[in-house]
Amino acid sequence: MQEATFLILTALAAGSQHGYGIVADVAAISDGRVRLRAGTLYSALDRLRLDGLIEVDREEIVDNRLRRYYRLTPGGGRQLAAEAARFRSNAAAALARLGLA
Amino acid sequence: MTPAAAADLERGYRRWLRWYPRSFRREHGDEILAVLLAGAGQGRRRPDPVECLDLVRGGLRMRLRPSVPSSDRSTRRALGLMCLGAALELAAAISLLATVDDVRSAVASANPGLTDGEWHAVVAGHIEPTALAACAAAGLWLWLAWAIGRGHRWAGIAFAVLWCVNTYGLVDGLAGGSAAYARGDLAIAILLWLVQLATVATLLAARARRQPLARR
Repeated sequence: MQEATFLILTALAAGSQHGYGIVADVAAISDGRVRLRAGTLYSALDRLRLDGLIEVDREEIVDNRLRRYYRLTPGGGRQLAAEAARFRSNAAAALARLGLA
Repeated sequence: MTPAAAADLERGYRRWLRWYPRSFRREHGDEILAVLLAGAGQGRRRPDPVECLDLVRGGLRMRLRPSVPSSDRSTRRALGLMCLGAALELAAAISLLATVDDVRSAVASANPGLTDGEWHAVVAGHIEPTALAACAAAGLWLWLAWAIGRGHRWAGIAFAVLWCVNTYGLVDGLAGGSAAYARGDLAIAILLWLVQLATVATLLAARARRQPLARR
């Protein structure tokens, strides 16, 4: 799983969010290291919807503009948990070998 | 941001959003626009070039990439085989054109009286059309792969029909004794036929796997 995809799923793990909310949350989670652009975000969201990892939660009109909120599906939650466990295991191995664990 | 600046910026973004397929724009255009405008700095009148590039990349990706879930491994494998088929067709065309002098030597040794005029007729009448046909076939493989990836059922049927035609051509060629004088052509034809066979079998397997899910 690519880092941007992992971070998008992580952003949605706390609850449903709209597009710009995800961009802001991903920037916050990654300490500003990852700045998602709109084209990249919507390519990733489309792929995640196709794979059944996220779904549309609701739509709102704010200032005459459409806001579509996305949320994790149960399958998306499971996949995120599996990826997070894998990262944790790899990170633990790296830290142990560096004598930093 | 002044209303005039906001209107200019929105117009600019909408222009770049045309890179996306119409159906995607209809569903997500306003949503993407809202994200772009929310992220734009104060006073900006024109889209940032990096954003434009990102929209072009995103639009092309939406137009070209298959709409096949990662879980549908059979269809994805079939699309990979079709890309391999296209690459083989192109490799055949390139190798034919790159080895044209060797072909001339072989033809000249079999026909010592070959004149320049006769050789040019062979190149124009057989070698160049064959190379062009291989390039066209590569395009056809890729086009059908794209159509199958976008969920067009006719493309899978068209590919199966092409495979049947190709099988007939191959068997007909073998019965006509082509193996005796064109071993290179025959080898590439058999290889391509095998890739087609594997693609058709994989597409059928994908369809069989999808049907029980659809019936549930």
